[in-house]
Amino acid sequence: MLTYIIRRTLYMLPLLLVVSLISFTLIKIMPGDFLTQARLNPQITEETLQAQIERFGLDRPFMVQYFYWLKNIVLHGDFGMSFDTKMPVFKTLFFGDRLQWTVFIALSTLVIQYLFAIPIGIYSATHQYKPSDHIVTFLGFLGLSIPNFFFALVLLWLLVVIFDVGQFGLTVSGVMDLHFYREGWSFAKILNILWHMWPVWLVIGTSGMAGLIRLMRGNLLDTLSLPYVQTARAKGLKEKVVIYKHAVRNAINPLVTILGLSLPGLVSGSVVTAIILNLPTVGLSYWNALQRQDENVIMAGLLFFSLFLLIGNLIADFLLAWVDPRIRYD
Amino acid sequence: MKNALILAGLLVITSVAVFGQGYDVMPEDALIFPVGVAGTVYEDMELGVQGGTLTLANLEDPKGWNNSTAHETSTTWFTYRQHRGLVNLDHISGAIVPDLAKSWEISEDQLVITFHLREGIKWSDGEPITADDVVFTYNDVILNEDVDTNQRDGQLLPDDTYPVCAKVDDYTVTFTMSVVFRPALNSLSFSILPEHVLAQSVHKLNPDVPVGTFNETWTLDTDLTELVGNGPWIVSDYVPNVSVTMTRNPYYYGYDPAGTQLPYYDEVINVIVTNQDVMMLKFRNGETDVYALRAVDIPILLPEGARKGFTVKITDEPGYGTTWFLVNQDIGLAEGTDAEKREVYRNVKFREAMAHCIDKDTIVTNVFNGLAGAQWSPVSVPSPFYAGRDYYGGPITENNAVIFEYDPAKAAALLDEIGVVDQDGDGMRDLPSGAPLKMEINTNDNTVRVGTCLILVDDWTSIGLDATFQVVDFNTLVDRLFGSSGDLIYLGLTGGDEPNGGSNVYNSCGSLHAYRYSACDEPDEVDLRIDELLGLGAGTFDLDEAFDYYTEYQQLLAHQLGYIYTVVPTFQYAYYNYVGNAFKASSTSTPSGNNGLLTELCFDKRLL
Repeated sequence: MLTYIIRRTLYMLPLLLVVSLISFTLIKIMPGDFLTQARLNPQITEETLQAQIERFGLDRPFMVQYFYWLKNIVLHGDFGMSFDTKMPVFKTLFFGDRLQWTVFIALSTLVIQYLFAIPIGIYSATHQYKPSDHIVTFLGFLGLSIPNFFFALVLLWLLVVIFDVGQFGLTVSGVMDLHFYREGWSFAKILNILWHMWPVWLVIGTSGMAGLIRLMRGNLLDTLSLPYVQTARAKGLKEKVVIYKHAVRNAINPLVTILGLSLPGLVSGSVVTAIILNLPTVGLSYWNALQRQDENVIMAGLLFFSLFLLIGNLIADFLLAWVDPRIRYD
Repeated sequence: MKNALILAGLLVITSVAVFGQGYDVMPEDALIFPVGVAGTVYEDMELGVQGGTLTLANLEDPKGWNNSTAHETSTTWFTYRQHRGLVNLDHISGAIVPDLAKSWEISEDQLVITFHLREGIKWSDGEPITADDVVFTYNDVILNEDVDTNQRDGQLLPDDTYPVCAKVDDYTVTFTMSVVFRPALNSLSFSILPEHVLAQSVHKLNPDVPVGTFNETWTLDTDLTELVGNGPWIVSDYVPNVSVTMTRNPYYYGYDPAGTQLPYYDEVINVIVTNQDVMMLKFRNGETDVYALRAVDIPILLPEGARKGFTVKITDEPGYGTTWFLVNQDIGLAEGTDAEKREVYRNVKFREAMAHCIDKDTIVTNVFNGLAGAQWSPVSVPSPFYAGRDYYGGPITENNAVIFEYDPAKAAALLDEIGVVDQDGDGMRDLPSGAPLKMEINTNDNTVRVGTCLILVDDWTSIGLDATFQVVDFNTLVDRLFGSSGDLIYLGLTGGDEPNGGSNVYNSCGSLHAYRYSACDEPDEVDLRIDELLGLGAGTFDLDEAFDYYTEYQQLLAHQLGYIYTVVPTFQYAYYNYVGNAFKASSTSTPSGNNGLLTELCFDKRLL
C-alpha cells in the first residue's frame, strides 16, 4: 500500500515536468506579453520598456527562460514573482482566503451534487420510461446544457430585478456581505453565507448533475436485470430491500471512482461562475493573471491545477480499491 | 450643574480618546475647497457633514499600494487618493492648482520653479510633511534607476535631462531645468511619499537592503497599518477579490469653507466586481452608491431611477483620449511588397476620401446610444488646449475644427481623381494599374469598436472600396501596430490635458507614430513643422502663445490624416440621490464614471 503511494507520487514528477514544458510553450506562443499594454501607453518611453523587459528576463530565448524557471524551482524552491503584484506567485494566487474558499466551494458542491444525483438516479431507474423519469432527466440535461455564466447572470437578474431582494437588505454575489469579512463567526454570518452560496451550488452543481444522474440510473438498471436481483425478489424480499440493500450497493461503485476525478474539474471549471458570482477563488486570480499575461503566475496556476488533477486521480484509484475488493495495488 | 460638568468632562475625555489623532485646530495653511462659494467652479456644490460610508465598485483588484511603482489605473485609483503631489489638476476646471504646495513661482528665465509647502501639515501617522519628503521622492525614488516606475519618463526634458530638485529650507523646494519646458509643472504633480517610512527600503539610502527592495515594498500583503499617506484616504482593509476599504486620513489638510475637515465620508469601500453586468445589478440592488454606466445600460436605468431613488447623469462632455483608425502608409515597406498600394495609401487624397466616408452620426446613434461626440483633433476635447476652443481654456466652439463632413459622393470623386476606379467591372475599385485594391480593417474584440468598424466598412463598400473587417486578438493587434504590418487598424489611445503627452505619438520619430514609422528617416515638410510646433508649445510658459502653437499643430495633424479620428464617448454615471455632491464629477482622471467622482467632497445627505 505504502509503496503504491510512493510509486504513484513519483510518477507525478515526470508528468508535471512535461505539463510545465507544454504550458510554458503555450504561454510563449501566445501573441504579446505582459508589457503589451504598456507599449500602447504614449507616456512610457522605449528605455523604460527595455528596462522592464530585462528585469523580467523576457529578452532571453525561450528555452533559456524555461531553464532558469526550472532551475530556480529545483535549486531554491522558487516559483518566481508575479510581474504584476511583485509578490511570490503562490501568494498572488492564494492571497487572502482564496484557497480555503476554493476548497470549500469545490467540496460542498461535490457533496450536494451527490446528495441529489444519487437519489434522483435511483428514482429515475425505478421509474424507467415513466413521465417522472423523463421530467427529472430533462431537468438534469437542462442544468448541463445551460452555460454556467448565463445561468449565474439570469439568477442574479431574477433576484435583483424580479424579486428585488435589495428591499429586504439582501445582497447578491460574493460569498457573504462585506461587513461579515471583518467579523468573527456567528449564526448570522453562517446564515448569510448560506444565502450567498445557494446560487453557487445551484449553478455549478446542476452543470455536473446530469452526468451523475444518468450514470446512477444506467448502472442501477443494469444491476436490476442481473440474476441475483431476480433471486432476491423470488425469495420474497421486499422491493425496497432488493433495491437499496442489494442493487444500489453494487451500482454505486463507478460513482465513487468519479468522485475523485470530478474534484479537479470543480476547481478549474468554476472559474466562469467565479467571475460572475464574484467568488474569491484561486480560479479567479488565475484568470486575472491570464488576462494580464503574468507568466509566472499562469505557470504556477497550471501546475496547481495539474497537481489537483493528479491527486484527484490518485484518490479515485484508492476509492475504487476500497469499494471493490477485487482491485489489488500490485 | 455638577453632573453636567462631569458629563462635559467625560465627553472631552471620550472625544480625546476617539479623536486622539488629527489636527487640534484647522492648520493655517489648510487647503480650502471653495464648496458653495459663488464665482468658483465649486459654487453649485453643498457643504456636507462628516460620517457614513460610500460604496463604489471597481472591475479589478489593485496590484499593490505603492504609488510610484504602480503601472495601471486599478492600482492608482487607490494610491492617488492615498498620496498627493505638490500640485494637482483641479477636478472640475482641469487647471493646475496648489495641493501640497500652497504656492509656487517661476523664475524670470523660466528655468527655476520654487514651491512653497504648506506648513504644519502632517502624514497620516502624525509626522510633519517637509521638503525632505519631496526631495526623497524625487531624487531617491523617481530618478532612482533601481526603481521600476513609469513616473521617471514623465520628468524627462527635451534635452534628455531631468529637472534638478533641491531643498531650500524645510518648506521650500526648487526644481531647476536646463531648458524651458512648460509641461514640467504638470509632471511635478507626482505623488509625494513619506521619507521616514520608505527611506529604509531604498537600497541607495540603506545599503543593507538588496537592490530592488523598494519595488517589493507596500505590496498587497503588506500590513496595512504600515501605510502612511498624505491624501484624503488611507487604505485600511483589503479582502482579495472582494473589496478595498479606505478610511479618512485624520491628518488630511483639505477643509471646506465652514471649517469641516475633508473627506466628509468616514470610509469609501470599493467592491471588486469582475463583470460589468453584475456591477450594474449590484447598483440596482442598492449595494453600491455610484455606477459608471455603459451606453447600453441607459434604457434600463433611466425608467428605474425615480422608483429606486437614483439619478442617471448624462453629461455632454466627451472624455479624454482619442479613437481612430490608421491607414498604414508603410504597408509592405519592410518586405518590399505592395508598392502601389503604399503609394495610394500615402496619397492624402485617398485618406481624405476615407475620412469623408465616416458616418459619425450613425456611429454615435447606433453604437453609443447617442452618448459620444465627433472628434477631429489629436488633443482630447476637455483639454484647455483643444483647438476647438477660441482661446486657452475657452468655450468649445469648433471654430478651428478641420471637419471632414460625411459625404460619400465627395469621397467617390476624390477616389476617381487619384485613379482609384473600377477597371474590371466587378463593382469594386481597383488600383491605378488595374490590380484589385483589397483592404482589411482590424480591431480587437470590443463591442463598441466592432460596431464602429462594421459601420465604417459598410460606408466604404458603398463607394466601391473592397474593405473587409476582421476581429483579432488584442496582442496581435498591438504587434501589427508596432511591427507596421497591419493594413487598417482601429484602436484608441489614452489622453490628458497636456498636448505634449502626445509627443511620443505625433513626433515623426515617436514610438507610436504607427501610421508612418518611416517618417523618422524621411520626414516631409508637415512632419518637420509638427515636430517644431511640439517643441515650441512645450517651450513657453505663456499659455496663450502655447495655445496658438498647438492650434496649428492640431490642424496640421487633422489635415495630414495619419490617425483618422472617429468619435469619443461622453461621460456618464448613475448615483443614488442620498450621495451629496455626486452630481458633479470630473472626467480628468479617466472617462469611466466614478473614477472622476470627487470622493472627498461627497457626503451622505441622510446624515444632515
